Amino acid sequence: MLVHTIKGLIERDQLSVKDIVTEDVNSRAIATEWYLGDELVRRDVAVSLLRGIGLGAQQESL
Amino acid sequence: MANTQAVCNSFKTEMMNGIHAFGTTVTRGATTKDTFKAALFLASATINKSTTAYSSTGEVSGTNYTAGGVTVTNANAPANASDTSYWTPSASFAWTTVTLSTAFDCVLIYNSTQGDKAVAAFTFSSQTVTAGNFTLTMPTNDQTTGLLRIS
Repeated sequence: MLVHTIKGLIERDQLSVKDIVTEDVNSRAIATEWYLGDELVRRDVAVSLLRGIGLGAQQESL
Repeated sequence: MANTQAVCNSFKTEMMNGIHAFGTTVTRGATTKDTFKAALFLASATINKSTTAYSSTGEVSGTNYTAGGVTVTNANAPANASDTSYWTPSASFAWTTVTLSTAFDCVLIYNSTQGDKAVAAFTFSSQTVTAGNFTLTMPTNDQTTGLLRIS
């Protein structure tokens, strides 16, 4: 399989891959870094928004 | 019988649908949905609650990224459950084979039909992308996690 990188298409077998997961209250991100030797040649990121924004609160009594 | 003070659930959903106007407003020329877009902003930008409209100031730039961002896929009508109206885009936002070398951490959703007026900003951990894909997956579209909720 060929992988698109900053150096063009490179065979997958020549690349090492590292996943970096970061998470906060509202999102989780997975960055996939592709290395040719020590050089970063591709970085993909997938962010999942875990929760949107809520407006206001129901007021039922004064 | 007793009366209960409340904001009506129907009103919350109708606000999302642009039915009510307490002030002067635009004349809507059609009953079709507006087009919303999503743009990415640098970690150094100042997108926040005071942002009133999309501007390219502070927006990311790089290979295969088009200023203004991507069109939001909107197949979900606003709905209401447990006294909360909610709406979420029906597909992820995706940028393919982009290089975004300067750290970014924010997506702004705005209404491109109504003068690019801002809707909401969402932040995430600061990222860069190199010759790769960036995907922003939406939360579950319900009253608890929906992207925009009015309760």
